[in-house]
Amino acid sequence: MQTTGKVYAPVKVSDLSYSFKAVETHSDIAFEALRTILPPKKFFFPQEETIVMCDGDQISEVVEVPTPFVVFGVHPCDLAGLLALDKIFLSAPLDSHYQRRRRAAVIVGLSCLPDKHCFCRSMGTDTPNKGYDLFLTDLGEEFYVQIKSQAGLEVIQACSTFVQSVNNDDNDSYKDFWSERDKLFERTFDSSKLPNLMDMGWNDPVWDQLAERCLSCGNCTPVCPTCYCFDMVDVAMFNTQKMEAKRDRVWDSCQFSGFAAVAGGENFRPGPIDRLKFWYRHKLHGFDDAIEIPSCVGCGRCTVSCPAGIDDLPGVVLTLLQKTNMKDAVQ
Amino acid sequence: MKSDGTLPKIAVHGLTGCAGELLVILENLGTVLPYVQVASFPFAQSKNDIKDVDIAFVEGSVSQEHDIEVLNKIRSHSKWLVAVGNCAVHGCVQSSTCAKFTPQEMVESVYGKDSAIKALEAKPLSSYVEVDVSLSGCPIDKNQFLAVLASLLKDHLPYIIERPVCLECKMRENGCVLIEKNLPCLGPVTAAGCGALCPSFDAACYGCFGPCKDPQLDAMTLILQEKGYNLSDVLVRLGTFGIPEAVLSNLDVRR
Repeated sequence: MQTTGKVYAPVKVSDLSYSFKAVETHSDIAFEALRTILPPKKFFFPQEETIVMCDGDQISEVVEVPTPFVVFGVHPCDLAGLLALDKIFLSAPLDSHYQRRRRAAVIVGLSCLPDKHCFCRSMGTDTPNKGYDLFLTDLGEEFYVQIKSQAGLEVIQACSTFVQSVNNDDNDSYKDFWSERDKLFERTFDSSKLPNLMDMGWNDPVWDQLAERCLSCGNCTPVCPTCYCFDMVDVAMFNTQKMEAKRDRVWDSCQFSGFAAVAGGENFRPGPIDRLKFWYRHKLHGFDDAIEIPSCVGCGRCTVSCPAGIDDLPGVVLTLLQKTNMKDAVQ
Repeated sequence: MKSDGTLPKIAVHGLTGCAGELLVILENLGTVLPYVQVASFPFAQSKNDIKDVDIAFVEGSVSQEHDIEVLNKIRSHSKWLVAVGNCAVHGCVQSSTCAKFTPQEMVESVYGKDSAIKALEAKPLSSYVEVDVSLSGCPIDKNQFLAVLASLLKDHLPYIIERPVCLECKMRENGCVLIEKNLPCLGPVTAAGCGALCPSFDAACYGCFGPCKDPQLDAMTLILQEKGYNLSDVLVRLGTFGIPEAVLSNLDVRR
């Protein structure tokens, strides 16, 4: 992979957390990592980036030309997250900053086994169908490799001594892995009901209970593979010779009270409950039909990143399904 | 450069505080000197003139009569007044939100019963004069200071982040010390600007930049209590670096 470019993979950063970082050898990689703090979106839509530089009367767009790089260890939910972001950033008006980075990347997917917070199976994002150049299924002694692109093929050709053709046994092991994996999900629901459920449950008291605990800290959104909201800030600065200014794009969150504030002092979502419900709806109702894909990929990052413990999406869904009698209505 | 060919004048003054902001500004004076004329900076130079200043930076809280006189003089002579540091913005440690004694009790215990020292209740600058820009921090962050000065030199109100420390912490991909270590981290309710410095070193945020915009103190109190911290400790922790009384009085547990 290193013949392609710099390799990024999950690395352990604290007792419980992992992060995609640059790695040198395979021993740097935390193969056991289930979810990283930030999803791989950070490689394409970075936390902070300068879009425009201003030097005197000279105003220029910053055009970074990224060198090829590899993101290794991307699980199926995160592949789905990247495909959702592609629909946002690569639809008109196209975001060239995102596009350049996306084109420079080789994505190597990796299978995983779910924990109690995973619900990708319910969201239909549990199987790696697309969005990768290579996908590795961990069969214990060896990996079952699926090649999706020319870039992926080139990686395999560069390490041909480590690969061999699959036989029938390998195919059986592959099928067994994924069918056994299906059985490991603790909580499942029918995601086709979610839009109706969110409409019907809009005034449910469950939101008040959750909002009482909400810190509006915004931890749920940077960790989300499909959250893409940002702010643009103009920053004046001193340079060595000339005074300069820059326009930065910085991650924002719908959970902050200023997010929906407008000139004149009006705020469309003034309280934590307004913001929390908005976020839940956006995740579970989807992109409100503009793009017909779910905006939750079931990775469980928000659940584990919420200091208040109120982002248990499958828990909330199952509660609402029960309350609205929708659980048994359609199966 | 102004239209008459001179450099804009700045003033840097301290009221009652630890001079932390003065030090940050002093350490970064080299960066700004090509662009400004330091008209007054008693901490750094002996010849000072406060008249017709373009931008005045004032640190410290107003804690004595003399502070009010100095502050009024600076205000009347400057175009922009910037409160720098938590003392100037929120009143900080010496303000009343977590103090357990009256100013009189404190004066007597330190200077004796018949002391000539007169102290006022420590208050932020905005209690006495109009403040144009508030930059919190204990001490302030040098990059934020430079950005504020650079903006004001262009007659442009600066952008100062009001979002919580959690955003900067997540952007740096720190493991959450509130979740993973059950530390009493105030990141969710504290204004960012520090780059999540303490949590980046596995320490809890103790709120030294003051509250973020619209802090959810009830939820913060509830969650820290659930982790076993007692209410009075939590309230002291929340108020240590100063917090507007209006924000604190919204707390359910205080009502």
